[in-house]
Amino acid sequence: MISESVALGRRALTKWIRNPFAVVVTSIQALFWLTLFGGSFNPANAFTSSSGGSLGPLQQAFGGAPNYITFLAPGVIGLVALTGMSFMGVDLVFDRINGYLDVLRASPIPRTSIYFGGVIQNIAKGMVAAPITFVIALVIPNGLKVSDGFGVLNVIGVFSIVAALTAVFATLFTGIAISTKSTDSFFAAINFLTFPFMFTSSAFFPLSFFPGWLKPVAQANPITLASDAMRLLILNSTLSASQAQSLLGDLAGLAVVGVLFAALGIAMARNALKAR
Amino acid sequence: MSSIIEVEGLTKTFPPSARVVDGVSFSVAEGTVFSLLGPNGAGKTTIIRMLTTLTSITEGKALVGGHDVGKDPAAVRNLIGVVPQEVTLDNELKGIENLLLAAKLHHVPKVVAGKRAKELLRLVDLEESENNRVSTYSGGMKRRLQLVTAIVHEPRILFLDEPTVGLDIQTRTRIWDYIRGLNREQGLSIFMTTHYLEEADKLSDVVAIMDRGGIRLAGSPADLKDSLQGDVLTISVEDGGEDLAGFLRSIPSVTEVTRTDHSYRIKLPKVESALPEIITSVASKGLRIIETSFSKPSLDQVFLEVTGRSMRDAEEGNGNYDRFGNVHARETR
Repeated sequence: MISESVALGRRALTKWIRNPFAVVVTSIQALFWLTLFGGSFNPANAFTSSSGGSLGPLQQAFGGAPNYITFLAPGVIGLVALTGMSFMGVDLVFDRINGYLDVLRASPIPRTSIYFGGVIQNIAKGMVAAPITFVIALVIPNGLKVSDGFGVLNVIGVFSIVAALTAVFATLFTGIAISTKSTDSFFAAINFLTFPFMFTSSAFFPLSFFPGWLKPVAQANPITLASDAMRLLILNSTLSASQAQSLLGDLAGLAVVGVLFAALGIAMARNALKAR
Repeated sequence: MSSIIEVEGLTKTFPPSARVVDGVSFSVAEGTVFSLLGPNGAGKTTIIRMLTTLTSITEGKALVGGHDVGKDPAAVRNLIGVVPQEVTLDNELKGIENLLLAAKLHHVPKVVAGKRAKELLRLVDLEESENNRVSTYSGGMKRRLQLVTAIVHEPRILFLDEPTVGLDIQTRTRIWDYIRGLNREQGLSIFMTTHYLEEADKLSDVVAIMDRGGIRLAGSPADLKDSLQGDVLTISVEDGGEDLAGFLRSIPSVTEVTRTDHSYRIKLPKVESALPEIITSVASKGLRIIETSFSKPSLDQVFLEVTGRSMRDAEEGNGNYDRFGNVHARETR
């Protein structure tokens, strides 16, 4: 099963490397989030213009971030993972429409490798978008400021979290992509899902800003879990015991959501690939 | 000869509508080419989809290579190669990469796959374009590549769903040569659907004529044409005058006469020898012949004979023409 999944994943990636438009555009999306949203919704705008983008009295609420972009960047990495994973599954919808999925279904490969092939290609694409987002955040004026002791381990930690988040979304959206029969229903489905994921997360603002009824939902949102975990690693070179605990809690939460999404995605894919 | 496919009472219903395939039975001998011939919407694609494990069987039984398609689809998938109606190649991949991917997905060992891919590309005269991306290929080249992509794992039977639909006649003839070659030289059993009479005629050992979900008649193209017992002469006479049907039937060589308005469709063994006599006789009745035409037996006539309508009428009845006047390849599934 693994070799077929990898072969299918590689197929998609080769296609993408030769025609990188979609992934490049998805990655550059980050630029808009960081400069446009990060510019217009920056809470520091409410205070003095001379404070160099400092969040002033809100700094504590924003996890101690020196400026808004530093808080926002991990959130945007999460958003790019979400939009990237959702839209990039369209390849699978086209595979169904143009008949390739049937060719696969009539071949002796396990049904699940069709699904995992999709998951693998999506994760790989997502892992290209994340570093691009990270670099954009670093280079824009008044951008991402990492902690003084930010080192290789922090980088590995941040991108492992991105990989985990990407995998979480890939499992869900690959299932959706395999089971939709047309591009318009696919886009309707992902549009329907991406907005709640986006706005019930701590990507833009800390959880403490959320109304009580929304907090539990936001806390379970994988974007919240991943971006809060990334923030801990970006803002602190070493973690205190309580910070380490909340990092582990975030990771455990991601794992739980991942298992749920994977179960859902596999069930959807299996159902969609059955002979009727 | 043993059979590679055995089908009995095969039925497919897509609720709530009617039976798309209705109690079809046939068998295909190993090493032969078997065609389902019929208009779009006759149920051909649904049969191919059931035999290739893509669509479930509502009723009846189908064995491919001795394996029950419904009960053991995995075993069937190991034996078959499938060429769908649509080209499913990856445009961004090179010709050879498409082949190697197919080989990989069918568990062909890497060394074998490389060698076989080269052979197959040579077989369909694509070795010079193997390193070009498929997006640069012509329609005919894509079909050729698609054809060999389906046999890179050396299946025992190849399923072709409308293999030349939408191709011009030169390209189509070329594809026929390759298909025939696969059967004759490589001994591959082939099961195909087509709505091109000439295609069924040229390629098949056995043609099964399908209409409205059922097989109406099956046999070798030659036998089917022989079953018509001769040529068909059509004459149209000027308005008015008596019914000539009885008179025409009395001519010794004529075996059957059907009348529509002022046209008579006359069946007889050899039209050339009887034509002068018929024309003279009709003229002696004082009637003017305004049009005559005759045709040698063709599968189109067999179709007409069996179903009561011509292939063209059958297709128009289905309303599957798009705004360019092309017949749509896809059937209701």
